[in-house]
Amino acid sequence: MAHRVRRYWRSLLSFWATSMEAELEYQLNLVIELLAVLGNLAGSLFVLVLLAGPSGELGGWSWNSALVVLGIYTLLDGFTSCVLQPNLSKIVSHVQNGTLDFVLLKPIDSQFWLSTRSFSPWGLPGVVAGVALIGWALARTGEALSLGGLALALALLVAGALILYSLWFFLAGLSIWFVKVWNATEVLRYTLVAGRYPISAYPPALRVVFTLVLPVAFLTTVPAEALLGRASTAWALGSLAAAAISLVGTRLFWQFALRHYTSASS
Amino acid sequence: MSAPIVLAEGLSKSFRVADKQPGFSGTLRHLLRRRYRDVEAVRGLNFTIQPGEVVGFLGPNGAGKTTTLKMLSGLIHPSAGRVEVAGCLPQRRQERFLQQITLVMGNRQQLIWDLPPLDSLRVNAAVYGIDPIEAKRRITELADMLELGEELHRPVRKLSLGQRMKAELLAALLHQPAVLFLDEPTLGLDVNAQARVRDFLANYNRRTGATVLLTSHYMGDITALCERVLLIHQGHLFHDGSLDALTSRLAPCREVRLELRQVHPREAFEGFGTIEAQQGHQVRLLIPREQLTQQVGLLLSRFEVVDLEVSDPPIEELIGGLFRQQG
Amino acid sequence: MARRSVLQSVQRAMRIAAALLSSQYAYMLEYRAEIALWALSGVLPLIMLAVWQGSDGAAAAGLTPQGLGRYFLAAFVVRQFSVVWLIHVFEEDALQGKLSPQLLQPLQPLWRYLAAHVAEQATRVPFVALMLASVVVLQPGLLWLPSPGQLLLGILAIQAAFVLRFLLQTLVAMLCFWSERAAALDRLLLIPYLFLSGLVAPLESFPPAVRRIAEYTPFPAMVSFPAKLLAGESVEVGAGFLNIALWCAVLFPLSRLLWRAGIRRYSAMGA
Repeated sequence: MAHRVRRYWRSLLSFWATSMEAELEYQLNLVIELLAVLGNLAGSLFVLVLLAGPSGELGGWSWNSALVVLGIYTLLDGFTSCVLQPNLSKIVSHVQNGTLDFVLLKPIDSQFWLSTRSFSPWGLPGVVAGVALIGWALARTGEALSLGGLALALALLVAGALILYSLWFFLAGLSIWFVKVWNATEVLRYTLVAGRYPISAYPPALRVVFTLVLPVAFLTTVPAEALLGRASTAWALGSLAAAAISLVGTRLFWQFALRHYTSASS
Repeated sequence: MSAPIVLAEGLSKSFRVADKQPGFSGTLRHLLRRRYRDVEAVRGLNFTIQPGEVVGFLGPNGAGKTTTLKMLSGLIHPSAGRVEVAGCLPQRRQERFLQQITLVMGNRQQLIWDLPPLDSLRVNAAVYGIDPIEAKRRITELADMLELGEELHRPVRKLSLGQRMKAELLAALLHQPAVLFLDEPTLGLDVNAQARVRDFLANYNRRTGATVLLTSHYMGDITALCERVLLIHQGHLFHDGSLDALTSRLAPCREVRLELRQVHPREAFEGFGTIEAQQGHQVRLLIPREQLTQQVGLLLSRFEVVDLEVSDPPIEELIGGLFRQQG
Repeated sequence: MARRSVLQSVQRAMRIAAALLSSQYAYMLEYRAEIALWALSGVLPLIMLAVWQGSDGAAAAGLTPQGLGRYFLAAFVVRQFSVVWLIHVFEEDALQGKLSPQLLQPLQPLWRYLAAHVAEQATRVPFVALMLASVVVLQPGLLWLPSPGQLLLGILAIQAAFVLRFLLQTLVAMLCFWSERAAALDRLLLIPYLFLSGLVAPLESFPPAVRRIAEYTPFPAMVSFPAKLLAGESVEVGAGFLNIALWCAVLFPLSRLLWRAGIRRYSAMGA
């Protein structure tokens, strides 16, 4: 068992080392990514100021608290660019080019391979900017978070990331059946921008949609509340449960997809 | 005799294909009520392969060669029958099965495009759990056999097709698999590169005793490497044996090439055998083996023959002829 | 004699246009599913509408819920029919050498890309209509019917905005001849487009200084102007179209220049 874990760990390190090596050939990218992240952040802050108006509140959230939500969104967007997009958008090209066969014949779990094979350093500016924004906004509130509260907040952030991963994986995995809808993950990215703002800023009907259909609430608002020290037990438990269920869901989904692939491909 | 390393019993595979008529009304009907057709790709294959054999799968496009290879490597589930490779059921894709096999495809590659092969090799070493020092030793040994040197340090996209295929073989053999599945390994390579790959595979088989299963369109691959040939035609196993046996079976005739002192009309040669070609002073005839001596004697006495050659017709033509008549 | 040759060249142009458009439309129909999804990814104005409607900033800027609804719905339609994706396909074609056969034909390759865009817009229509219908089902009060004059002007403004965006992206696409990462530069241009064009925030909500700066850029002409026309808000029609025309007059010769220089370099490098 230990040998297996070591092998997976070694594989992960070599995946990411070779992946970064391939990417870092293009240095201009770093400058552009930095500018893009900063530009987007500046624009989002500007829009937030406009929305908050003279009262300085959005959906009952203070401007400062809304910054935490924006920071978490930027962090998750960076995570998407680092890990989710470079890996999961490749599933469709594997299916089209027939290279999925090579993945299946390696003595390593195919879901692990497909989810972690690449790492793009270009998402890192977004991650750093997100963390910086969260830190700055929290510092401005002047309140300190207890150790337990911090642990809960981190757990909810991870839960949000796992839910995001599951959404991406499910949509990308559909290309085993339908190659023509490869851009479904792009649609996801464009609709998740709703996570930029706390969900209480949306009308009640949309709040339901953003909890049950497209769980944006669990991605940014719930972890933000935890970071601000006002986590509600119900939402926290709901988020953790959603994360666990969606992760198991991806496993079952993938096994189903592989069964189809191996009986249908010629 | 030791236990076979590959065992196939009644191996069959059929695919359900949607039957769609062309045109708009066809699309509409297809939307409302799907109709399916069963395509039998492979029917009832039975064969066993001993460790260390080099076996070639022959057949025209669509015969079922690649489907068979994929069933043996576990990439496709058989519809019926049983298959066992290296003591495992391939479709379960257990780790100990995957450690013992490798698949190389001539029209696809697994090497990372933008990086030198060495980087892909490092990834494979990690994935297969090969100690880094041991991996280095194996790379050196294989690179030596494959005549690869500084190519390992150049990005894959900058290598020629032949060099790329050699690097692919290196990456595929790093974990010293017991069974090699090769699907059209010399596809698109020039004559020299093809020869080098064939030499390497023969050499590798001799040195390591690995079992090699190979499909190819190029008869040169099969004649150079395979003592045993499995000819698959329309999903059935048509022939399982040596190439010579196949030739005798397919060609009850032998090819006789004549060069004559004078030009004779075509009709003069009818009755001696099937006329394959007749151009000026050269004539090519196909004569049944039993009548060979008699007919050659008659030809020599009837015409002034400058040169005479008796050979087997090229195997490609025989197989081509087989597929044409049964297709 | 001279008049007939003008007629002939017009006829030739029409024939080429008809052939290009019909073939591109047939091509786009094959990619219906993908295009439907692209249409779906244009929901941003609808999301922003949801955020703006309850917000304090809207009230402070004097924006009524009904006005906001019309504006953002119009902005949604504007964006759907003025989206430009030239840079991605052009970069791919240039890098893979697929431009070469196009250059051997007596037709400026950019016309093909333009025809592709128009065909894609035509393919989008049913999906956008479906999306509008579902929005209206959820919030019936949002639907309004613009007067025929407003509708016509609105469509003209959308097409003008599309041409402007196309020219701007052509300029960036020309950089593909010099750099492998020109598409990344377009990503940077997307930022001012997003924030200054009125797509995520109506220009009325901007502080006056920022608004004046924005109006010096071509971006408000791309969304705010056509959206307001469609929504029936009071807007200086003549000045708006003139603004777009002036920007096009600047971008068009610039892109022609860059195209010529780029092709020279492309052929020199070995197409």
